[in-house]
Amino acid sequence: MLWLCIRLPQLAREAIAGAATAASEHSENSERNLLVQREALDRLAAWAYQWSSLISYATHEPLLWLELGGSCALFEGHEALLARIEAELVQLGYSHICALAPSPTAAALLTHASGQRHVLTRAQLRQRLDDLPLQLLALPAATLAALHASGLRRIGQVLELPAAAIARRFEPETQLYLQRLCAQTSDPRPAWRLPETYSARCEFASEVRTSTALLFPLQRLLLEFQGYLRARDCSVQRFTLEFAHYRHPLSRVTIGLSAPGRDAAQFLTLVRERMHSLLLPAPVNALRLQALEFTAPAIAQGDLFGSDAQPLQQLQRLLDRLRARLGESSIHALQLHADYRPEFGWRSAAPELLAASASSASLAPIAARPIAARPCWLLPEPMRIEPPAQLLRGPERIESGWWDQGDVRRDYYLARTGEGTQVWVFHDRRGGQWYLQGLWA
Amino acid sequence: MGVRSVTLDQLTRLCHDGEWRRAPYPAAPSGFAELDANLPGGGWPVGAIAELMPEAMGIGELSLLLPALSRLACAGRYIAWIAPPYLPYAPALAQGGLPLKRLLIIQTRNAQESLWAAEQTLRCPAFGAVLSWPSAIADKNVRRLQLAAEAGGSLGILYRPTEAAREHSPAALRLRLQPTAKGLAVDIHKCRGGRAGLRLQLSLRAISPTSHCDAVAVHPFTATGS
Repeated sequence: MLWLCIRLPQLAREAIAGAATAASEHSENSERNLLVQREALDRLAAWAYQWSSLISYATHEPLLWLELGGSCALFEGHEALLARIEAELVQLGYSHICALAPSPTAAALLTHASGQRHVLTRAQLRQRLDDLPLQLLALPAATLAALHASGLRRIGQVLELPAAAIARRFEPETQLYLQRLCAQTSDPRPAWRLPETYSARCEFASEVRTSTALLFPLQRLLLEFQGYLRARDCSVQRFTLEFAHYRHPLSRVTIGLSAPGRDAAQFLTLVRERMHSLLLPAPVNALRLQALEFTAPAIAQGDLFGSDAQPLQQLQRLLDRLRARLGESSIHALQLHADYRPEFGWRSAAPELLAASASSASLAPIAARPIAARPCWLLPEPMRIEPPAQLLRGPERIESGWWDQGDVRRDYYLARTGEGTQVWVFHDRRGGQWYLQGLWA
Repeated sequence: MGVRSVTLDQLTRLCHDGEWRRAPYPAAPSGFAELDANLPGGGWPVGAIAELMPEAMGIGELSLLLPALSRLACAGRYIAWIAPPYLPYAPALAQGGLPLKRLLIIQTRNAQESLWAAEQTLRCPAFGAVLSWPSAIADKNVRRLQLAAEAGGSLGILYRPTEAAREHSPAALRLRLQPTAKGLAVDIHKCRGGRAGLRLQLSLRAISPTSHCDAVAVHPFTATGS
């Protein structure tokens, strides 16, 4: 087994986005800091799951362990894998110290050591430990003092002591610790479990008043979310952002995609567009990202000849962006609807994305029934008018709708106005009034 | 030494071939022979902005475009209408031959959003034509749309009030539309790469109420004629 230990010395401060440095330092290890650290570690564990299925963390001294023995081959060796993990940590904005060792205890110790922190085998580990100072051992202060008083200065000297002597002089945990340090005995860790749904929270030290200041923590949340999605090998089509305010109910924003995705950069673009039109009632003091439903990843499959998939994808992303900025219902398509009453002759429909090569047969409008010519523009509501002077064509009688209280009895005409506009008017045979309903554009 | 001598003969031939008068843009045939004959490339400028300035709404300003829109849509490209002033009436558009599945209506809340949506859609190659109805639009914004249309290779149509004709505009084509007894009078106010100042009479009855999908003769990306 090969363990990567990531020590996050500044976690409490960095996890509180936008923190004023002084604000959190005086309350070192307070209840609140521990809570913040646990939330951050939970998010990081989900993020780390993409590289390893065995994850563990310790809250007090924020440490995150990943078992990499099984993943190194998959990710082209431990050097390449470590480089990737560290690059993402930098992107997330956490200071970190990584160490690699055959046991989790040793890896944790090496994060405090200076010099070489990557040790792959047990023999190398023993050699590396030899010269390290005694103080690095995570043992009770009394034990360390006793060892120091015995004239021991280096870890190597402690390891050379006979096991029986240590067992007699110190608590049994001491011997167990040393064995785990050298990877000589099993070193079980509580395995962190990947949750079924995703919910990540991020608290701010001070209230955030501008949407630009929200973008950094958002970007981090989305990157961690991307890690979770990769870990589960799934995509989302919908996720929710919750903004917590002081003395105000939560503001909730749902981001929807037209096709499942798991690209943090794409998510961020959508969120950014949405933020443009978002009006929050009060400053924000915490942020939560939540996703409940996941789908299998949409793998972009190109067909053998065409490159249709790419424009279609471009279109999907564009529509997502438009929706994020203009509103969920801002884009619609038109559909014919079989109803004789003109105002019900169409419906708005969700846009359906078709490949460029979709056959024209499937595109040809379905001529449900032959109807007389219709105008291109319809008024939202028929408008009362004076009887028109010049009727050019008509009447076309429409009587329909007796079954749903929308009963109409109308005579339709094509008329011309003084300005030369051609309009579609009807004479309501029940009330005797004239109405304008469309423009012949 | 290196200078190639061009004979007068060659020059004349070049001019007669019309090589120097090639349209600055590929064109999408409008479906109206008189109009196509007077537009460079033989149709609406693809990858550019065309401004239509109708005297009023409801004089045939959409029917003028429908054949071209139908052709573009049947060739696989989407059509976007951004914040139309009235409800686009689906049965009429279907009668005009437009495949409704390729038409997207985009609603916006203000002029700024409309401009943004127009720029985004023009820039996306999936869209063949983008129609917009700005009440007022600044010169520099028309230029932005012009660049977006060039990038996306799409036809941008701006419906503007007739007063806009007095202003300068970087649009490649500007037409004034007036109703006549028989149809539509089209004044070519500005035409890059072609002749301005012409007045054409179009009969809108020429639009047949059949689908244009059956007869896609011209690919929208290729210029016709030279």
